[in-house]
Amino acid sequence: MNSGKNNKFGIAGAFIVLAVPFIIMLLNPDGDLHTKQSLCSLKLMTGLPCPGCGITKSIIALYEGNIYKSLAYHLFGPAVLLYCLMTIFYSILGHIRKKEYLAHYLYSMRTGYVIASTLGVYHFFRLINFFSIHSFDQILQQSIWQ
Amino acid sequence: MPKFKNDPILVLILSICTCGLYLIYWNMKMAEVMNAVVGKQVISAPIAIFAGCCYPVNAYFYYLVGNDCLPKLSERVGEEPKDNATLYLILGFLIPMVAAMMAQGEVNKLYQQDNSQDNKSDNN
Repeated sequence: MNSGKNNKFGIAGAFIVLAVPFIIMLLNPDGDLHTKQSLCSLKLMTGLPCPGCGITKSIIALYEGNIYKSLAYHLFGPAVLLYCLMTIFYSILGHIRKKEYLAHYLYSMRTGYVIASTLGVYHFFRLINFFSIHSFDQILQQSIWQ
Repeated sequence: MPKFKNDPILVLILSICTCGLYLIYWNMKMAEVMNAVVGKQVISAPIAIFAGCCYPVNAYFYYLVGNDCLPKLSERVGEEPKDNATLYLILGFLIPMVAAMMAQGEVNKLYQQDNSQDNKSDNN
């Protein structure tokens, strides 16, 4: 993939990741998002969270200015927000100046494996915590088999 | 060419049993294989990771797999290229584990062909 295409898709992807929580926040002014059924296919099927479950709610909490709530929903919510803002900023800057900024880090497989491993370790402990505080019935209630 | 041969059913089972963790690893490995098949970077690392945990991105990941990568893979194994991009996009959005299972089945053909070529050269 050339750098120009990388830039455009990077900006578009980061913008979507930031815009979707904002739209959901506007559509849910009551702040009762945690009671709504998740649209994650894994959660629908098993009632268990996937590694990304909670990131949208975490970004919404950040938009509302509640950092503690954001971290409680997902530890990497603020990191995703920061990553997306950085991607947009450096991609636009790179497009204007015709130069690649941080592309080596933003799009490299090595960075990807580091992020994936960290996310994996976090998700492992989050699952242990999830099983310890939820009963079988409560897990089932979060799925379509409720 | 990075080797990533798995039983498709195992991909489905592991994805569900590990609560999606395996799918992130699978996405990363698949991105490596697909980039090698196409000969350029079609799927970058952030897309592979976000596809394992963010919703609109997984549809895009599987669209890239179905549209840009699998036709090249079919050409490479000597099959007629099929346009399954829409199927992968829809399945990737709704049930990514099943889309992963299907893509793994296609990728396995690559190694079956490599094995048969190795066997032929051994016989000669």
